[in-house]
Amino acid sequence: MSHNDEIPAAAHGYIALTPAACTSCMLCVRECPSWCITLESHAVQTSEPGARRPTTVSVLDAFTIDFGLCMFCGICVEVCPFDALEWTPRFDYAASDRSGLVQAIDQLSGSGDQR
Amino acid sequence: MTPAAPAFRLAADPTVRVVVANLGLACCSLEVDVAIQRGLLVPDEDGAGAAHCVLLVSGTVTDVLAPAVVRHYEALPGHVSVMSFGACASTGGPYWDAPTVTQGVDRLVPVSVYVPGCPPRPEALVAGLLALTAEVSA
Repeated sequence: MSHNDEIPAAAHGYIALTPAACTSCMLCVRECPSWCITLESHAVQTSEPGARRPTTVSVLDAFTIDFGLCMFCGICVEVCPFDALEWTPRFDYAASDRSGLVQAIDQLSGSGDQR
Repeated sequence: MTPAAPAFRLAADPTVRVVVANLGLACCSLEVDVAIQRGLLVPDEDGAGAAHCVLLVSGTVTDVLAPAVVRHYEALPGHVSVMSFGACASTGGPYWDAPTVTQGVDRLVPVSVYVPGCPPRPEALVAGLLALTAEVSA
């Protein structure tokens, strides 16, 4: 059983990440009341021909949500300026060990296919 | 102390029969009742001898209650699998830094399956029971 038709699409089941939309701004990490999100990034300087100054962009290295701690409040989803985080109704990700509840980029971004 | 542990079949897979010792400590336990009311868990009158006995811990485990949880676990006969249902039972949840809250029931008894959610849906309870019984049978 992976999906139940009675579950509304907007159900607070699982938080999915679109890594390409994330700018590593850290708003979700800071606003999370449970402190269940971690984010690592590094800065890259780019300089385009003709630009007046080099610009610095953040590159996302790591992003985890600890669903053992998460209180599914959705503040991270609300606060994300670029809609990189979204709710999915997925519920079937019980883990046999504690570390299995800590989900990283590959799991968070692949969840859309698994529901 | 011998807790009354009713037996259930799963509507999703009626071959799965479980004895569920429901240790509801906070709001997550309501979802267990919803699972029964919605027929996801079907009472199994003659299933008392079911192979799988699950101690279902749902809700916040406070340090005051911790010894009672351990006694409950030890009082259950035979092999007992513990399900940690919801964020509080798994880690302390939103209260993880509270001085009076146990940071996860796995600090007291071995946990076989962690069901995420705050609270998890009733369907997540069924998915967790299926994962647990599949693991025990394997």
